[in-house]
Amino acid sequence: MNNDTHFVIETDALTKRFGDRVAVDGVELRVPRGSAFGYLGPNGAGKTTLIRMLLGLTDASSGTMRLLGLPVPEQRGAALARVGAIVEEPRFHPFLSGRENLQVAAAVRGANAEARIDGALRRVGLTERADERVRSYSLGMRQRLGVGRALLGDPELLLLDEPTNGLDPAGIHEFRDMIAGFIGEGRTVLLSSHLLDEVEKICEAVAIVDRGRVVVQGSIEQLKAGGERTVLIGTPDELRAQAALAEHAAVGSVERNGAGIRVTLEPDLELTTEEAAGELNRSLAAEGIVVHKLVAESASLEERFLQITERLGGSE
Amino acid sequence: MSALTAMSARPAGVPWRAMVGAELLKLRKRRGLFWSTLVLVVVPVVVGYVILTVHHAIDPDHAAPAGGITNLRGTYEFLAQVGMVAAIMIGITAGGGDLGAGVFRELVVTGRSRIALFGVRFPGAILFLAPFVLAAAVIASVASVALPGSGREPGALLMVGYAGWLALALLSGMALALGIGSLLSGRVAIGLVLAWQFVLTPLLLQIGKVDAVLVGAALRRIEPGSTDDSVSPTIAVLALAAWTLIPLAVGAWRTARRDA
Repeated sequence: MNNDTHFVIETDALTKRFGDRVAVDGVELRVPRGSAFGYLGPNGAGKTTLIRMLLGLTDASSGTMRLLGLPVPEQRGAALARVGAIVEEPRFHPFLSGRENLQVAAAVRGANAEARIDGALRRVGLTERADERVRSYSLGMRQRLGVGRALLGDPELLLLDEPTNGLDPAGIHEFRDMIAGFIGEGRTVLLSSHLLDEVEKICEAVAIVDRGRVVVQGSIEQLKAGGERTVLIGTPDELRAQAALAEHAAVGSVERNGAGIRVTLEPDLELTTEEAAGELNRSLAAEGIVVHKLVAESASLEERFLQITERLGGSE
Repeated sequence: MSALTAMSARPAGVPWRAMVGAELLKLRKRRGLFWSTLVLVVVPVVVGYVILTVHHAIDPDHAAPAGGITNLRGTYEFLAQVGMVAAIMIGITAGGGDLGAGVFRELVVTGRSRIALFGVRFPGAILFLAPFVLAAAVIASVASVALPGSGREPGALLMVGYAGWLALALLSGMALALGIGSLLSGRVAIGLVLAWQFVLTPLLLQIGKVDAVLVGAALRRIEPGSTDDSVSPTIAVLALAAWTLIPLAVGAWRTARRDA
Protein backbone atom coordinates (compact mmCIF):
# COMPACT_ATOMS: atom_id res chain seq x y z
CA MET A 1 0.00 0.00 0.00
CA ASN A 2 1.39 3.35 -1.00
CA ASN A 3 0.75 5.27 2.19
CA ASP A 4 3.33 7.95 1.55
CA THR A 5 0.99 9.95 -0.65
CA HIS A 6 -1.05 12.48 1.27
CA PHE A 7 -3.53 12.89 -1.55
CA VAL A 8 -5.29 9.83 -2.96
CA ILE A 9 -6.64 11.80 -5.89
CA GLU A 10 -4.70 14.56 -7.60
CA THR A 11 -5.73 16.14 -10.85
CA ASP A 12 -4.03 18.94 -12.71
CA ALA A 13 -5.73 20.96 -15.42
CA LEU A 14 -7.96 17.97 -16.10
CA THR A 15 -10.27 18.69 -19.00
CA LYS A 16 -12.88 16.76 -20.94
CA ARG A 17 -14.49 18.12 -24.06
CA PHE A 18 -17.41 16.68 -25.98
CA GLY A 19 -17.12 18.52 -29.25
CA ASP A 20 -17.43 22.22 -28.43
CA ARG A 21 -18.86 21.57 -24.99
CA VAL A 22 -16.44 21.50 -22.06
CA ALA A 23 -17.78 19.08 -19.44
CA VAL A 24 -14.75 19.21 -17.13
CA ASP A 25 -12.72 22.38 -17.30
CA GLY A 26 -9.17 22.41 -15.98
CA VAL A 27 -10.01 20.72 -12.70
CA GLU A 28 -7.36 20.85 -9.96
CA LEU A 29 -8.55 18.44 -7.29
CA ARG A 30 -6.78 17.23 -4.16
CA VAL A 31 -8.49 14.58 -2.06
CA PRO A 32 -6.69 13.90 1.23
CA ARG A 33 -6.14 10.33 2.36
CA GLY A 34 -8.45 8.92 5.02
CA SER A 35 -11.22 11.49 4.59
CA ALA A 36 -14.80 11.52 3.40
CA PHE A 37 -14.59 14.04 0.61
CA GLY A 38 -17.65 15.50 -1.06
CA TYR A 39 -17.63 16.40 -4.73
CA LEU A 40 -20.57 18.69 -4.80
CA GLY A 41 -22.30 20.32 -7.70
CA PRO A 42 -25.61 20.77 -9.43
CA ASN A 43 -26.79 18.26 -12.02
CA GLY A 44 -24.80 18.58 -15.21
CA ALA A 45 -21.81 20.19 -13.46
CA GLY A 46 -19.42 17.49 -14.68
CA LYS A 47 -19.19 15.37 -11.53
CA THR A 48 -19.83 12.03 -13.19
CA THR A 49 -17.56 12.85 -16.12
CA LEU A 50 -14.68 13.51 -13.73
CA ILE A 51 -15.27 10.19 -11.97
CA ARG A 52 -15.53 8.39 -15.31
CA MET A 53 -12.15 9.81 -16.31
CA LEU A 54 -10.56 8.79 -13.02
CA LEU A 55 -11.87 5.27 -13.52
CA GLY A 56 -10.72 4.98 -17.11
CA LEU A 57 -14.25 4.77 -18.47
CA THR A 58 -13.56 7.68 -20.79
CA ASP A 59 -10.36 9.41 -21.82
CA ALA A 60 -9.41 12.89 -20.67
CA SER A 61 -9.01 15.51 -23.37
CA SER A 62 -6.05 17.04 -21.53
CA GLY A 63 -4.50 17.32 -18.08
CA THR A 64 -3.10 14.74 -15.68
CA MET A 65 -4.51 12.48 -12.96
CA ARG A 66 -2.98 10.48 -10.14
CA LEU A 67 -4.87 7.86 -8.16
CA LEU A 68 -3.26 6.64 -4.93
CA GLY A 69 -0.06 8.24 -6.12
CA LEU A 70 -0.05 6.39 -9.43
CA PRO A 71 -0.41 8.19 -12.75
CA VAL A 72 -3.46 7.20 -14.73
CA PRO A 73 -4.10 6.07 -17.37
CA GLU A 74 -0.44 4.90 -17.46
CA GLN A 75 -0.79 2.73 -14.33
CA ARG A 76 -4.54 2.43 -14.38
CA GLY A 77 -4.62 -1.31 -13.69
CA ALA A 78 -2.47 -1.11 -10.57
CA ALA A 79 -4.31 1.96 -9.28
CA LEU A 80 -7.84 0.67 -9.85
CA ALA A 81 -7.01 -2.66 -8.21
CA ARG A 82 -7.10 -0.64 -4.96
CA VAL A 83 -10.19 1.37 -5.82
CA GLY A 84 -13.87 0.50 -5.52
CA ALA A 85 -16.49 2.49 -7.35
CA ILE A 86 -20.15 3.08 -7.99
CA VAL A 87 -20.85 5.15 -11.09
CA GLU A 88 -24.41 6.45 -11.27
CA GLU A 89 -26.87 3.59 -10.81
CA PRO A 90 -24.95 0.33 -10.35
CA ARG A 91 -25.75 -2.15 -13.08
CA PHE A 92 -26.00 -5.93 -12.88
CA HIS A 93 -26.98 -8.91 -14.96
CA PRO A 94 -30.63 -9.24 -13.91
CA PHE A 95 -30.80 -12.97 -14.59
CA LEU A 96 -27.94 -13.66 -12.16
CA SER A 97 -28.33 -13.70 -8.40
CA GLY A 98 -26.67 -11.05 -6.27
CA ARG A 99 -23.98 -13.53 -5.29
CA GLU A 100 -23.39 -14.58 -8.91
CA ASN A 101 -23.04 -10.97 -9.97
CA LEU A 102 -20.38 -10.53 -7.31
CA GLN A 103 -18.72 -13.74 -8.50
CA VAL A 104 -18.45 -12.27 -11.99
CA ALA A 105 -16.84 -9.09 -10.64
CA ALA A 106 -14.58 -11.07 -8.31
CA ALA A 107 -13.38 -13.24 -11.19
CA VAL A 108 -12.34 -10.11 -13.07
CA ARG A 109 -10.67 -8.57 -10.02
CA GLY A 110 -8.78 -11.71 -9.06
CA ALA A 111 -6.48 -11.32 -6.04
CA ASN A 112 -8.69 -13.10 -3.49
CA ALA A 113 -11.78 -11.08 -4.33
CA GLU A 114 -13.81 -14.30 -4.43
CA ALA A 115 -13.06 -14.88 -0.75
CA ARG A 116 -14.51 -11.46 0.13
CA ILE A 117 -17.95 -12.09 -1.39
CA ASP A 118 -19.62 -13.38 1.77
CA GLY A 119 -18.17 -10.57 3.86
CA ALA A 120 -19.26 -7.95 1.36
CA LEU A 121 -22.81 -9.33 1.24
CA ARG A 122 -22.95 -9.39 5.02
CA ARG A 123 -21.64 -5.85 5.25
CA VAL A 124 -24.37 -4.48 2.97
CA GLY A 125 -27.07 -6.59 4.59
CA LEU A 126 -27.85 -8.80 1.61
CA THR A 127 -26.81 -12.22 2.86
CA GLU A 128 -30.41 -13.40 3.17
CA ARG A 129 -31.29 -12.47 -0.40
CA ALA A 130 -27.93 -13.09 -2.04
CA ASP A 131 -29.18 -16.09 -3.98
CA GLU A 132 -32.21 -14.36 -5.46
CA ARG A 133 -32.02 -12.96 -8.94
CA VAL A 134 -31.11 -9.29 -9.09
CA ARG A 135 -34.21 -8.80 -11.26
CA SER A 136 -36.25 -9.04 -8.05
CA TYR A 137 -34.15 -6.50 -6.13
CA SER A 138 -35.39 -3.03 -5.28
CA LEU A 139 -33.33 -0.03 -6.34
CA GLY A 140 -32.08 0.34 -2.79
CA MET A 141 -30.93 -3.28 -2.72
CA ARG A 142 -29.11 -2.78 -6.00
CA GLN A 143 -27.37 0.26 -4.55
CA ARG A 144 -26.27 -1.81 -1.59
CA LEU A 145 -25.14 -4.65 -3.84
CA GLY A 146 -23.15 -2.04 -5.78
CA VAL A 147 -21.39 -1.04 -2.58
CA GLY A 148 -20.76 -4.73 -1.88
CA ARG A 149 -19.20 -5.12 -5.31
CA ALA A 150 -17.05 -2.04 -4.73
CA LEU A 151 -15.67 -3.69 -1.57
CA LEU A 152 -14.48 -6.86 -3.32
CA GLY A 153 -11.05 -5.41 -3.98
CA ASP A 154 -10.61 -4.35 -0.34
CA PRO A 155 -10.22 -0.79 -1.64
CA GLU A 156 -8.19 2.02 -0.16
CA LEU A 157 -10.33 4.48 -2.07
CA LEU A 158 -14.06 4.38 -2.80
CA LEU A 159 -15.49 6.58 -5.54
CA LEU A 160 -19.23 6.79 -5.01
CA ASP A 161 -21.26 8.70 -7.56
CA GLU A 162 -24.71 9.65 -6.24
CA PRO A 163 -24.78 6.49 -4.11
CA THR A 164 -27.91 7.32 -2.13
CA ASN A 165 -30.14 7.60 -5.18
CA GLY A 166 -33.19 5.46 -4.60
CA LEU A 167 -32.52 4.86 -0.91
CA ASP A 168 -35.27 5.51 1.59
CA PRO A 169 -34.50 7.61 4.70
CA ALA A 170 -33.58 4.55 6.73
CA GLY A 171 -31.35 3.36 3.90
CA ILE A 172 -29.65 6.76 3.70
CA HIS A 173 -29.03 6.66 7.44
CA GLU A 174 -27.51 3.18 7.16
CA PHE A 175 -25.44 4.36 4.26
CA ARG A 176 -24.01 7.24 6.31
CA ASP A 177 -23.02 4.78 9.02
CA MET A 178 -21.41 2.58 6.40
CA ILE A 179 -19.32 5.48 5.10
CA ALA A 180 -18.28 6.34 8.65
CA GLY A 181 -17.23 2.70 9.03
CA PHE A 182 -15.14 2.87 5.86
CA ILE A 183 -13.37 6.00 7.07
CA GLY A 184 -12.78 4.32 10.43
CA GLU A 185 -11.04 1.49 8.60
CA GLY A 186 -8.64 3.93 6.99
CA ARG A 187 -10.29 4.06 3.58
CA THR A 188 -10.91 7.28 1.71
CA VAL A 189 -14.33 8.01 0.26
CA LEU A 190 -15.04 10.44 -2.55
CA LEU A 191 -18.76 11.08 -2.52
CA SER A 192 -20.12 12.80 -5.58
CA SER A 193 -23.54 14.29 -5.02
CA HIS A 194 -25.86 17.16 -5.72
CA LEU A 195 -27.45 16.67 -2.28
CA LEU A 196 -25.93 19.31 -0.01
CA ASP A 197 -27.43 17.96 3.16
CA GLU A 198 -26.05 14.51 2.46
CA VAL A 199 -22.55 15.82 1.81
CA GLU A 200 -22.62 18.09 4.87
CA LYS A 201 -23.59 15.18 7.10
CA ILE A 202 -21.11 12.68 5.71
CA CYS A 203 -18.06 14.59 4.56
CA GLU A 204 -15.34 16.58 6.29
CA ALA A 205 -14.02 18.20 3.16
CA VAL A 206 -15.62 19.21 -0.06
CA ALA A 207 -15.01 20.58 -3.53
CA ILE A 208 -17.77 22.57 -5.17
CA VAL A 209 -17.96 22.14 -8.89
CA ASP A 210 -19.98 24.23 -11.28
CA ARG A 211 -20.05 24.09 -15.06
CA GLY A 212 -17.09 21.74 -15.12
CA ARG A 213 -14.86 23.86 -12.88
CA VAL A 214 -13.90 23.31 -9.25
CA VAL A 215 -14.88 26.61 -7.75
CA VAL A 216 -13.66 26.04 -4.24
CA GLN A 217 -12.32 23.17 -2.15
CA GLY A 218 -11.37 22.68 1.46
CA SER A 219 -12.86 21.53 4.74
CA ILE A 220 -16.56 22.19 5.20
CA GLU A 221 -15.72 24.51 8.12
CA GLN A 222 -13.32 26.49 5.96
CA LEU A 223 -15.89 26.68 3.23
CA LYS A 224 -18.63 27.89 5.51
CA ALA A 225 -16.22 30.39 7.08
CA GLY A 226 -15.56 31.81 3.65
CA GLY A 227 -19.19 32.79 3.36
CA GLU A 228 -21.09 35.76 4.68
CA ARG A 229 -21.21 35.84 8.49
CA THR A 230 -23.93 37.70 10.28
CA VAL A 231 -25.03 38.49 13.82
CA LEU A 232 -28.69 39.04 14.61
CA ILE A 233 -29.19 41.50 17.46
CA GLY A 234 -32.43 42.16 19.32
CA THR A 235 -32.72 45.46 21.24
CA PRO A 236 -35.53 47.83 22.20
CA ASP A 237 -33.40 50.76 20.96
CA GLU A 238 -32.78 49.78 17.33
CA LEU A 239 -32.00 53.25 15.97
CA ARG A 240 -29.22 53.99 18.47
CA ALA A 241 -27.89 50.47 18.16
CA GLN A 242 -27.80 50.71 14.38
CA ALA A 243 -25.82 53.96 14.52
CA ALA A 244 -23.37 52.55 17.07
CA LEU A 245 -22.82 49.31 15.16
CA ALA A 246 -22.22 51.12 11.88
CA GLU A 247 -19.11 52.69 13.45
CA HIS A 248 -17.70 49.39 14.70
CA ALA A 249 -14.57 48.08 12.96
CA ALA A 250 -15.85 44.49 12.80
CA VAL A 251 -19.01 45.48 10.99
CA GLY A 252 -19.37 45.52 7.24
CA SER A 253 -23.01 46.53 7.03
CA VAL A 254 -26.06 46.92 9.26
CA GLU A 255 -29.71 46.56 8.37
CA ARG A 256 -32.91 46.52 10.37
CA ASN A 257 -35.52 43.94 9.61
CA GLY A 258 -38.57 42.62 11.36
CA ALA A 259 -36.51 40.25 13.50
CA GLY A 260 -34.06 42.88 14.76
CA ILE A 261 -30.77 44.24 13.49
CA ARG A 262 -28.78 42.06 11.13
CA VAL A 263 -25.08 42.86 11.21
CA THR A 264 -22.91 41.53 8.42
CA LEU A 265 -19.33 41.12 9.61
CA GLU A 266 -16.28 42.27 7.65
CA PRO A 267 -15.21 39.38 5.38
CA ASP A 268 -11.57 39.48 6.50
CA LEU A 269 -12.35 39.68 10.21
CA GLU A 270 -10.08 37.31 12.11
CA LEU A 271 -12.51 36.70 14.98
CA THR A 272 -14.95 33.81 14.89
CA THR A 273 -18.59 34.75 14.45
CA GLU A 274 -19.24 33.99 18.13
CA GLU A 275 -16.30 36.10 19.26
CA ALA A 276 -17.46 38.97 17.06
CA ALA A 277 -20.98 38.70 18.51
CA GLY A 278 -19.51 39.03 22.00
CA GLU A 279 -17.48 42.03 20.91
CA LEU A 280 -20.55 43.75 19.46
CA ASN A 281 -22.50 43.04 22.65
CA ARG A 282 -19.72 44.60 24.76
CA SER A 283 -19.68 47.64 22.51
CA LEU A 284 -23.45 48.15 22.72
CA ALA A 285 -23.42 47.67 26.50
CA ALA A 286 -20.74 50.34 26.73
CA GLU A 287 -23.15 52.71 24.98
CA GLY A 288 -25.86 51.77 27.50
CA ILE A 289 -27.91 49.89 24.94
CA VAL A 290 -29.77 46.84 26.22
CA VAL A 291 -29.38 43.68 24.14
CA HIS A 292 -31.99 40.96 24.62
CA LYS A 293 -31.08 38.74 21.68
CA LEU A 294 -27.72 37.90 20.15
CA VAL A 295 -27.47 35.18 17.50
CA ALA A 296 -24.24 34.38 15.66
CA GLU A 297 -25.10 33.06 12.20
CA SER A 298 -22.79 31.30 9.75
CA ALA A 299 -23.84 30.35 6.26
CA SER A 300 -24.91 26.74 5.94
CA LEU A 301 -23.22 24.71 3.24
CA GLU A 302 -26.37 25.14 1.19
CA GLU A 303 -26.26 28.93 1.48
CA ARG A 304 -22.56 28.94 0.70
CA PHE A 305 -23.11 26.67 -2.27
CA LEU A 306 -25.82 28.93 -3.62
CA GLN A 307 -23.69 32.02 -3.02
CA ILE A 308 -20.84 30.49 -4.99
CA THR A 309 -22.82 29.06 -7.85
CA GLU A 310 -25.08 32.12 -8.17
CA ARG A 311 -22.06 34.38 -8.22
CA LEU A 312 -20.60 32.33 -11.02
CA GLY A 313 -23.87 32.25 -12.83
CA GLY A 314 -24.17 35.99 -12.62
CA SER A 315 -20.69 36.60 -13.86
CA GLU A 316 -21.20 34.73 -17.11
CA MET B 1 -8.45 -2.69 4.99
CA SER B 2 -6.91 -6.08 5.29
CA ALA B 3 -3.23 -6.75 5.45
CA LEU B 4 -3.66 -8.34 2.07
CA THR B 5 -4.03 -4.97 0.42
CA ALA B 6 -0.97 -3.70 2.13
CA MET B 7 1.14 -6.55 0.81
CA SER B 8 -0.02 -6.78 -2.73
CA ALA B 9 -2.63 -4.94 -4.69
CA ARG B 10 -2.93 -7.40 -7.54
CA PRO B 11 -0.80 -10.36 -8.53
CA ALA B 12 0.69 -10.14 -11.97
CA GLY B 13 -1.25 -11.72 -14.79
CA VAL B 14 -4.85 -12.07 -15.79
CA PRO B 15 -6.98 -14.69 -13.99
CA TRP B 16 -8.04 -16.20 -17.31
CA ARG B 17 -9.53 -19.34 -15.85
CA ALA B 18 -11.79 -17.50 -13.41
CA MET B 19 -12.77 -14.94 -16.02
CA VAL B 20 -13.67 -17.58 -18.62
CA GLY B 21 -15.65 -19.35 -15.90
CA ALA B 22 -17.53 -16.11 -15.24
CA GLU B 23 -18.30 -15.76 -18.96
CA LEU B 24 -19.61 -19.31 -19.01
CA LEU B 25 -21.74 -18.58 -15.93
CA LYS B 26 -23.29 -15.55 -17.63
CA LEU B 27 -24.24 -17.62 -20.69
CA ARG B 28 -25.33 -20.69 -18.78
CA LYS B 29 -27.69 -18.73 -16.55
CA ARG B 30 -29.60 -17.26 -19.47
CA ARG B 31 -32.44 -19.74 -19.60
CA GLY B 32 -33.69 -18.63 -22.98
CA LEU B 33 -30.28 -19.07 -24.55
CA PHE B 34 -29.78 -22.44 -22.90
CA TRP B 35 -33.07 -23.89 -24.12
CA SER B 36 -32.79 -22.31 -27.57
CA THR B 37 -29.38 -23.87 -28.03
CA LEU B 38 -30.66 -27.23 -26.89
CA VAL B 39 -33.60 -27.00 -29.30
CA LEU B 40 -31.45 -25.85 -32.21
CA VAL B 41 -28.46 -28.16 -31.77
CA VAL B 42 -29.46 -31.35 -29.97
CA VAL B 43 -33.19 -31.77 -30.48
CA PRO B 44 -33.05 -31.69 -34.32
CA VAL B 45 -30.73 -34.72 -34.30
CA VAL B 46 -33.04 -36.71 -32.06
CA VAL B 47 -36.17 -35.64 -33.92
CA GLY B 48 -34.48 -36.24 -37.30
CA TYR B 49 -33.49 -39.80 -36.52
CA VAL B 50 -36.87 -40.56 -34.94
CA ILE B 51 -38.64 -39.31 -38.09
CA LEU B 52 -36.30 -41.24 -40.39
CA THR B 53 -36.81 -44.40 -38.35
CA VAL B 54 -40.59 -44.06 -38.22
CA HIS B 55 -40.76 -43.15 -41.92
CA HIS B 56 -38.73 -46.21 -42.84
CA ALA B 57 -40.89 -48.41 -40.61
CA ILE B 58 -44.09 -47.10 -42.22
CA ASP B 59 -42.90 -47.04 -45.81
CA PRO B 60 -39.75 -49.17 -46.21
CA ASP B 61 -40.08 -49.25 -50.03
CA HIS B 62 -39.70 -45.50 -50.40
CA ALA B 63 -37.88 -44.45 -47.22
CA ALA B 64 -34.33 -45.66 -46.61
CA PRO B 65 -33.24 -46.84 -43.15
CA ALA B 66 -32.13 -44.10 -40.75
CA GLY B 67 -28.55 -45.28 -40.22
CA GLY B 68 -25.52 -45.07 -42.49
CA ILE B 69 -23.34 -42.43 -44.04
CA THR B 70 -25.95 -40.67 -46.17
CA ASN B 71 -28.19 -39.73 -43.28
CA LEU B 72 -25.19 -38.85 -41.12
CA ARG B 73 -24.10 -36.35 -43.77
CA GLY B 74 -27.62 -34.99 -44.08
CA THR B 75 -27.87 -34.62 -40.32
CA TYR B 76 -24.64 -32.66 -40.08
CA GLU B 77 -25.51 -30.42 -43.02
CA PHE B 78 -28.87 -29.68 -41.42
CA LEU B 79 -27.16 -29.07 -38.07
CA ALA B 80 -24.73 -26.66 -39.69
CA GLN B 81 -27.77 -24.58 -40.68
CA VAL B 82 -29.96 -24.67 -37.55
CA GLY B 83 -27.00 -24.89 -35.20
CA MET B 84 -25.68 -21.76 -36.87
CA VAL B 85 -28.68 -19.84 -35.54
CA ALA B 86 -27.74 -20.94 -32.01
CA ALA B 87 -24.07 -20.11 -32.59
CA ILE B 88 -25.03 -16.63 -33.77
CA MET B 89 -27.27 -16.07 -30.76
CA ILE B 90 -24.50 -17.18 -28.41
CA GLY B 91 -21.94 -15.01 -30.17
CA ILE B 92 -24.13 -11.92 -30.08
CA THR B 93 -24.91 -12.52 -26.40
CA ALA B 94 -21.28 -13.08 -25.46
CA GLY B 95 -20.18 -10.07 -27.49
CA GLY B 96 -22.76 -7.57 -26.29
CA GLY B 97 -24.21 -8.99 -23.08
CA ASP B 98 -22.09 -6.95 -20.65
CA LEU B 99 -22.51 -3.78 -22.64
CA GLY B 100 -26.25 -4.25 -23.06
CA ALA B 101 -26.75 -4.77 -19.32
CA GLY B 102 -24.48 -1.83 -18.48
CA VAL B 103 -22.13 -4.18 -16.66
CA PHE B 104 -19.17 -3.55 -18.95
CA ARG B 105 -18.31 -0.32 -17.14
CA GLU B 106 -18.55 -2.12 -13.79
CA LEU B 107 -15.88 -4.53 -15.04
CA VAL B 108 -13.71 -1.80 -16.55
CA VAL B 109 -13.54 0.01 -13.21
CA THR B 110 -11.75 -2.99 -11.72
CA GLY B 111 -8.74 -1.88 -13.73
CA ARG B 112 -8.69 -5.10 -15.76
CA SER B 113 -7.69 -4.42 -19.37
CA ARG B 114 -10.48 -4.22 -21.90
CA ILE B 115 -8.61 -6.61 -24.16
CA ALA B 116 -8.67 -9.19 -21.36
CA LEU B 117 -12.38 -8.54 -20.82
CA PHE B 118 -12.96 -9.14 -24.53
CA GLY B 119 -10.51 -12.01 -24.71
CA VAL B 120 -12.50 -14.29 -22.42
CA ARG B 121 -15.74 -13.95 -24.35
CA PHE B 122 -14.89 -16.34 -27.18
CA PRO B 123 -13.54 -19.13 -24.95
CA GLY B 124 -16.58 -18.71 -22.69
CA ALA B 125 -18.90 -18.98 -25.67
CA ILE B 126 -17.05 -22.06 -26.95
CA LEU B 127 -17.34 -23.74 -23.57
CA PHE B 128 -21.05 -23.02 -23.54
CA LEU B 129 -21.68 -24.37 -27.04
CA ALA B 130 -19.30 -27.34 -26.87
CA PRO B 131 -21.45 -29.71 -24.75
CA PHE B 132 -24.41 -29.22 -27.08
CA VAL B 133 -22.34 -29.90 -30.20
CA LEU B 134 -20.72 -32.88 -28.51
CA ALA B 135 -24.11 -34.29 -27.51
CA ALA B 136 -25.44 -33.81 -31.04
CA ALA B 137 -22.36 -35.44 -32.52
CA VAL B 138 -22.55 -38.42 -30.16
CA ILE B 139 -26.26 -38.95 -30.87
CA ALA B 140 -25.74 -38.69 -34.64
CA SER B 141 -22.73 -40.99 -34.59
CA VAL B 142 -24.42 -43.62 -32.43
CA ALA B 143 -27.60 -43.47 -34.52
CA SER B 144 -25.69 -43.79 -37.77
CA VAL B 145 -24.18 -47.11 -36.68
CA ALA B 146 -26.82 -48.43 -34.28
CA LEU B 147 -29.70 -47.99 -36.68
CA PRO B 148 -29.80 -50.11 -39.82
CA GLY B 149 -28.57 -48.35 -42.93
CA SER B 150 -28.85 -48.90 -46.63
CA GLY B 151 -25.18 -48.27 -47.40
CA ARG B 152 -21.87 -48.38 -45.59
CA GLU B 153 -21.60 -47.64 -41.89
CA PRO B 154 -19.49 -44.56 -41.16
CA GLY B 155 -16.07 -45.16 -39.63
CA ALA B 156 -14.80 -43.43 -36.48
CA LEU B 157 -12.57 -41.12 -38.53
CA LEU B 158 -15.50 -39.91 -40.60
CA MET B 159 -17.59 -39.32 -37.48
CA VAL B 160 -14.82 -37.25 -35.90
CA GLY B 161 -14.33 -35.46 -39.22
CA TYR B 162 -17.97 -34.47 -39.38
CA ALA B 163 -18.03 -33.36 -35.74
CA GLY B 164 -14.94 -31.24 -36.35
CA TRP B 165 -16.45 -29.80 -39.54
CA LEU B 166 -19.62 -28.85 -37.66
CA ALA B 167 -17.56 -27.31 -34.87
CA LEU B 168 -15.59 -25.23 -37.39
CA ALA B 169 -18.79 -24.08 -39.09
CA LEU B 170 -20.40 -23.02 -35.83
CA LEU B 171 -17.25 -21.42 -34.44
CA SER B 172 -16.82 -19.25 -37.52
CA GLY B 173 -20.44 -18.12 -37.23
CA MET B 174 -20.06 -17.53 -33.53
CA ALA B 175 -16.86 -15.50 -34.01
CA LEU B 176 -18.56 -13.33 -36.61
CA ALA B 177 -21.54 -12.79 -34.31
CA LEU B 178 -19.32 -12.08 -31.30
CA GLY B 179 -17.32 -9.50 -33.21
CA ILE B 180 -20.43 -7.79 -34.57
CA GLY B 181 -22.12 -8.08 -31.17
CA SER B 182 -19.21 -6.16 -29.65
CA LEU B 183 -19.68 -3.40 -32.24
CA LEU B 184 -23.42 -2.94 -32.43
CA SER B 185 -26.44 -3.24 -30.17
CA GLY B 186 -27.93 -6.73 -29.79
CA ARG B 187 -30.97 -6.48 -32.07
CA VAL B 188 -29.17 -4.74 -34.91
CA ALA B 189 -26.26 -7.15 -34.64
CA ILE B 190 -28.39 -10.30 -34.65
CA GLY B 191 -30.44 -9.05 -37.61
CA LEU B 192 -27.32 -8.17 -39.54
CA VAL B 193 -25.55 -11.47 -38.93
CA LEU B 194 -28.63 -13.59 -39.64
CA ALA B 195 -29.27 -11.66 -42.85
CA TRP B 196 -25.67 -12.13 -43.91
CA GLN B 197 -25.61 -15.80 -43.03
CA PHE B 198 -28.97 -16.91 -44.36
CA VAL B 199 -29.83 -14.43 -47.10
CA LEU B 200 -26.77 -12.77 -48.58
CA THR B 201 -24.32 -15.66 -48.36
CA PRO B 202 -26.63 -18.16 -50.17
CA LEU B 203 -27.30 -15.52 -52.83
CA LEU B 204 -23.61 -14.88 -53.36
CA LEU B 205 -22.93 -18.62 -53.48
CA GLN B 206 -25.57 -18.92 -56.19
CA ILE B 207 -23.89 -16.20 -58.20
CA GLY B 208 -20.56 -17.99 -57.71
CA LYS B 209 -18.27 -15.02 -58.38
CA VAL B 210 -16.89 -14.47 -54.90
CA ASP B 211 -16.70 -18.01 -53.53
CA ALA B 212 -13.08 -17.54 -52.53
CA VAL B 213 -14.04 -15.06 -49.83
CA LEU B 214 -17.17 -16.77 -48.57
CA VAL B 215 -17.12 -18.95 -45.51
CA GLY B 216 -20.02 -20.96 -46.99
CA ALA B 217 -17.87 -22.02 -49.94
CA ALA B 218 -14.98 -22.80 -47.62
CA LEU B 219 -17.16 -25.05 -45.48
CA ARG B 220 -18.55 -26.78 -48.56
CA ARG B 221 -14.97 -27.43 -49.71
CA ILE B 222 -13.69 -28.89 -46.44
CA GLU B 223 -16.77 -30.96 -45.63
CA PRO B 224 -15.80 -34.64 -45.26
CA GLY B 225 -16.29 -36.47 -48.54
CA SER B 226 -16.74 -33.21 -50.45
CA THR B 227 -16.40 -33.25 -54.22
CA ASP B 228 -16.77 -29.48 -54.47
CA ASP B 229 -13.75 -27.80 -56.02
CA SER B 230 -14.96 -24.25 -56.43
CA VAL B 231 -12.13 -23.10 -54.15
CA SER B 232 -8.82 -24.67 -53.26
CA PRO B 233 -8.35 -26.23 -49.81
CA THR B 234 -5.78 -23.55 -48.95
CA ILE B 235 -8.14 -20.75 -49.90
CA ALA B 236 -10.90 -22.46 -47.91
CA VAL B 237 -8.75 -22.66 -44.79
CA LEU B 238 -7.61 -19.06 -45.22
CA ALA B 239 -11.18 -17.87 -45.70
CA LEU B 240 -12.33 -19.71 -42.60
CA ALA B 241 -9.44 -18.32 -40.56
CA ALA B 242 -10.13 -14.82 -41.81
CA TRP B 243 -13.86 -15.04 -41.08
CA THR B 244 -13.04 -16.20 -37.56
CA LEU B 245 -10.14 -13.94 -36.68
CA ILE B 246 -11.04 -10.66 -38.37
CA PRO B 247 -14.41 -10.20 -36.59
CA LEU B 248 -12.72 -11.03 -33.29
CA ALA B 249 -9.95 -8.52 -33.97
CA VAL B 250 -12.47 -5.83 -34.89
CA GLY B 251 -14.51 -6.59 -31.77
CA ALA B 252 -11.38 -6.41 -29.59
CA TRP B 253 -10.37 -3.12 -31.20
CA ARG B 254 -13.78 -1.59 -30.57
CA THR B 255 -13.96 -2.90 -27.01
CA ALA B 256 -10.56 -1.43 -26.22
CA ARG B 257 -11.50 2.01 -27.53
CA ARG B 258 -15.12 2.59 -26.67
CA ASP B 259 -16.31 4.66 -23.72
CA ALA B 260 -17.65 2.32 -21.05
